[in-house]
Amino acid sequence: MHGIILAAVLISTYLMAIAKRMPALIRSFRYQSFCLFLSTFIIALAERRPGLYIIAALIFALKVCLIPYLLYRIIGRIKVKQDIGLFINPQMSLFCALVFTYLSWLVAGYLSAPEGYPKTEMLTAAFFMVSQGMFLMIFRKTALAQIIGLLTMENGLFLLASAVSGGMPFFVEIAVFFDVFMSVLIMGFFVYRINNLFTHIDVHKLSRLKR
Amino acid sequence: MLIFLILGAPIIFAAGAFFAGRNKFFGAINSAGYFVLFVAGSLLFWDSLSSDGRGPYFGFIYIDALSAFFIFTISMAVFAAALYSCGYINNQTGQGRMTRDKARLYYILFNLFCLSMFFVPAVNNLGMLWVAVEMTTLISAFLVGFYNSKESVEAAWKYIIICSVGIIFALLGTILFSYAFSLSGGSASLNWQDMAEAAGRMDRNILKTAFIFILVGYGTKAGLAPMHTWLPDAHSQAVAPASALLSGVLLKTAVYAILRFGVITVNGAGFAYFGRLMVLFGLISLAVSCGFILIQKDLKRLLAYSSIEHIGIIAVGFGLGTPLSMAAAILHIFNHAATKSLMFFGAGNLVDKYRTHNMRLIRGASAVMPFTGFMLLLGVFALAGMPPFSIFISEMLVLLSAFLKGAYAVVFLMLGFVTVIFAALVYHFGRMIFGPAPKGMPAESEPLSIKLAFLFLFIQICILGIAPLFMGKELVWIAQRLFRL
Repeated sequence: MHGIILAAVLISTYLMAIAKRMPALIRSFRYQSFCLFLSTFIIALAERRPGLYIIAALIFALKVCLIPYLLYRIIGRIKVKQDIGLFINPQMSLFCALVFTYLSWLVAGYLSAPEGYPKTEMLTAAFFMVSQGMFLMIFRKTALAQIIGLLTMENGLFLLASAVSGGMPFFVEIAVFFDVFMSVLIMGFFVYRINNLFTHIDVHKLSRLKR
Repeated sequence: MLIFLILGAPIIFAAGAFFAGRNKFFGAINSAGYFVLFVAGSLLFWDSLSSDGRGPYFGFIYIDALSAFFIFTISMAVFAAALYSCGYINNQTGQGRMTRDKARLYYILFNLFCLSMFFVPAVNNLGMLWVAVEMTTLISAFLVGFYNSKESVEAAWKYIIICSVGIIFALLGTILFSYAFSLSGGSASLNWQDMAEAAGRMDRNILKTAFIFILVGYGTKAGLAPMHTWLPDAHSQAVAPASALLSGVLLKTAVYAILRFGVITVNGAGFAYFGRLMVLFGLISLAVSCGFILIQKDLKRLLAYSSIEHIGIIAVGFGLGTPLSMAAAILHIFNHAATKSLMFFGAGNLVDKYRTHNMRLIRGASAVMPFTGFMLLLGVFALAGMPPFSIFISEMLVLLSAFLKGAYAVVFLMLGFVTVIFAALVYHFGRMIFGPAPKGMPAESEPLSIKLAFLFLFIQICILGIAPLFMGKELVWIAQRLFRL
């Protein structure tokens, strides 16, 4: 069961690599977060820890519903064209994503314990999400795509934390959620401001400050 | 219990700013409040030297000597910044360049920013430490983008994105540390004390990998080159007192985080690994900042690059790892906070008066603003490392300990960079301070609170420049207390 969810996580992340327009990117982020929710929920069912139920509920509320909703709202409000601005075309991006998957698998093999827990697949998916998020931040031009990249990295870290130590302590996890939500709000606020001042949100054209 | 005063007061001040921040006298009340916090911070530090750590309160607030030292440093810089804000903001609102509502917003953000910085050294849970550091970024981004100009919003965006990515790597490192901890048989508590004790049983390879991520992550926030690229933008665009805080203490909170993880790494994987990495990144920072300081045209960016230089010196000091160099690095953290705040205050006054950041257009500061000009002249020598001032002592001690340790290459490189930077700083500031004043610019006297802020910092610089000559042993003792060497 868990393997299927992990595969779904990978697929949703590949979808991110080939997304050309903002709504598609947000949608695949939503799928990815939903997979994380499912994975956490299944672990919560198996281990019967009340804290995990709350965390699963928070993932659903924040990452599946609220944050994508906010991002959709931002696109609606700023009315720029919805291309995310690719430096690297989708085919090449997908190829890079496959290479990242392989590299993540190597790193996971290096780090995973001999007894087989944490599972290598889970570590692989986690490292792959972190590297794919980084990739999106570097090779996509718009500010919103960078926010999604950051959120993808954060999702990857969440998976990593649950893979290696059954998740961070409860109140730390809650604080991290709060923090991520705050940062999306604040970044969204700055996206508005950038759009107002520059009439675009292409961050690679922000180059008034040099040296 | 002092810690609750220190953590609680900024919340009250922020609430006060919300209700009374439009008032002209709020700045004075605010600085009076932060004077109390400065006294509380000093008492806390004094108390922590003789006790074995206080707490934990609520399971995650714990004060030992190292955290008390950082809280003390923050309280010092924050008091000076509050004092300076008082005159600076009143000037801006008086000239109609900032509305009273904006001033209120400024005071709210200022107090929240201080709160988040006080939280970083106060928590003992490494996950909460991460949250606190990220909070400092999120709040100060508003202070960077405060003027809402194209430049400042660009700087704020770069700041928030680069630091968030950096901090994500720090979280990755934190998770790997907790992984190593749980493999060694500990729970997943992320509690620093437990982890530092269990460090000897942890897997060395995982610790080493994890520390790389920590160093890159928090190093981004600390401004270590080559992850420093957000720093000159953010520092040059922020409101002047906020620039001083960013440079003086915000960077140090990230250094604090690196140190906490560093202790675990040293306990688990030996000193050489930690030391080499720190010295390497420190020297790269020195080299990068040296080049950019030479060719700099923008006053506040010049000071920002100088911050990178000093973070580099601090990293080298910790990386050398002898008790003497540790003491020097700790001393340097305080000295740099005081000196750089003074310089940013002076730069803020100049930028306000001349309405430009371009150093070529700033001339005759000593004629236009005699007090600021004089303080900047003393300050630039203090910053560059002239003998009667405090930075000279700490830089000298770092060099001395490198020499005693036989790390001649480090001595050679550091001495070279510091010398070039000395010359460049004196050259740049000499051209701004001296020379005829621009025509039609009347001489002006600064408000009392700004003068007091300068004098307060200058006294710190002088005392710490002279006192260590007579109390070297006590300093090393303090450093040993800090790290339980």
